[in-house]
Amino acid sequence: MNNSILWYTTRGAGAVSLILFSAVVVLGVLSSLRFETTSWPRFLTTGLHRNLSLMALVFLALHIVTAVVDPFTHLGWLAAVVPFSSYYRTFWLGLGVIAVELLIAIAVTSLVRGVIGHAAWRAIHLLAYASWPIAVVHSFGTGTDTLSAWMLVIDVVCILAVAGAVVARLLARPPDPLAADRARFRERVSRNLPR
Amino acid sequence: MTNLSLFAGPPPNAGAERFADHTRRLGHRPAGNRTLIDTLDRSGLVGRGGASFPVGIKWRSVHSRSRGGAVVIANGAEGEPLSRKDQTLMTLRPHLVIDGALLAADAVSASRVLLYVGEAHAAAVAAMSRALAERSTVDTSRATLLTAPPSYVAGEETAAVHFVNTGVATPTATPPRPFERGVDGRPTLVQNVETLAHAALIARFGDEWFHSLGLNHATGTILLTVSGAVAKPGVIEVASGSTVDEVLVMAGGVRGKARAVLLGGYFGGWISAQQAGTMVLDPKGLRAAGGSLGCGVVSVLDEVADPLDVSARIMQHLANESAAQCGPCFFGLRSLAAATTRLARRQPEHGDLPQLHRWAAMVRGRGACRHPDGAVAFLQSALTLFEPEFAAAAGARGRRAS
Repeated sequence: MNNSILWYTTRGAGAVSLILFSAVVVLGVLSSLRFETTSWPRFLTTGLHRNLSLMALVFLALHIVTAVVDPFTHLGWLAAVVPFSSYYRTFWLGLGVIAVELLIAIAVTSLVRGVIGHAAWRAIHLLAYASWPIAVVHSFGTGTDTLSAWMLVIDVVCILAVAGAVVARLLARPPDPLAADRARFRERVSRNLPR
Repeated sequence: MTNLSLFAGPPPNAGAERFADHTRRLGHRPAGNRTLIDTLDRSGLVGRGGASFPVGIKWRSVHSRSRGGAVVIANGAEGEPLSRKDQTLMTLRPHLVIDGALLAADAVSASRVLLYVGEAHAAAVAAMSRALAERSTVDTSRATLLTAPPSYVAGEETAAVHFVNTGVATPTATPPRPFERGVDGRPTLVQNVETLAHAALIARFGDEWFHSLGLNHATGTILLTVSGAVAKPGVIEVASGSTVDEVLVMAGGVRGKARAVLLGGYFGGWISAQQAGTMVLDPKGLRAAGGSLGCGVVSVLDEVADPLDVSARIMQHLANESAAQCGPCFFGLRSLAAATTRLARRQPEHGDLPQLHRWAAMVRGRGACRHPDGAVAFLQSALTLFEPEFAAAAGARGRRAS
């Protein structure tokens, strides 16, 4: 088999992963904003968030597996698991490994959310805000296509989309319409108990 | 015939029965063990907080999970505005309640007993607190008095557990139910104080004695709070299986002419006076028939009062008591109460009446606790029984809806 097919696949799957994960992050932020319109109900946001993230994981797996088995780089499986253990572009690949491992933690805790509870799940899920930027830096550092125009367009669109969503989240009022009423009721039925 | 069992002994004006008198009259508290749970099964005793759940089954499910660390909460929060029976019982017979709670703790092998008494019920809090002080250190080392905030949902069992755990008396999502994971994560028995008092007597006198108290195949006695258009409103103890008519006679008879009876309190339902008259008050039987005695409220509406106005006030109260945790409950009850109030004022907006029917069906079953379900059941009973009044009100401004 032509080795360059693996190399092209690695690059293509990496770019697709970037697009998909950017969309997943934007959808995640939108769901926490409780974004909805008459033609875009809230379950669409959460459903797409979940399904796209699984699809993105498939492309990410393709990205990693093709890179590892590519005889030209002969990275070895250790390099895909232990950050900064690769002889080849040690730092930039290490960032990719960290981003993936954070992502695995996020995916696994989402699958067992009922068991670990909402608070623990949420704490882990916030790691997405670390995983995504690390992955973007990884792509700038080690990408073969980094300086090609089409890749730059993808980068700019993805970064603007995520940054826009995050800014909207930071500026938004508390999205829970019941928060004030709940606080008021809780105040009424709260007491300091001697334990 | 109004002090058969729980209220046997000194008359109400004698105040709280002291521990020495209690022991002289009834003897010492017997042993609480597995045999007692079997006796409770045979007695047919069901919970008196509103849900009428069989007591034996509940105790057994806590016992099987206990491993010695279970918790018992004696629930005397009594947030139902029309009910007085729990506070009256705790005020007059505090030791019966404490006996029942300790027996429950022994039977389910619990290490901790919490007496959860509504803080608004000052006389009950004082009586329970004094009664606890009269007990031995063996008893007081595991029993603690805790006052419940004055809200409707504070007596809901997950709210009681949440309050003990965090100091906030709001219901939590189930499962887990308290018998699985309650106070400090331990299996927890939350039982109404009247139920515990009955258990304290059944432990002494047996299930056959309890059966002998009831009428028409019902077992034991029930505490009722009779209010509204009766000559002598208040708390009475009647034989299970009594009819509503018999109860109203005991309460001095109806003043004027009865139009309807609210049975079970704000979570209960309206029943026409004729239909209610012959109705048999049997907690177990009513539950089997799909109805409910609720917490034993019997409130009479006469023909002078406006049923829409009374129903609207109750809906307003229930809407205000939503803990604002679940959207369908908070917004739903608020909308239902507002529409009912507009109809009661004979100033309806277009479509209020059909909206009430539609929204009521949408709200049911969509809360973490049963607060919205209870409110909707009450409203639907009003819509059914007072259908002519509602229809007239809907057309009050010449704009008949639907």
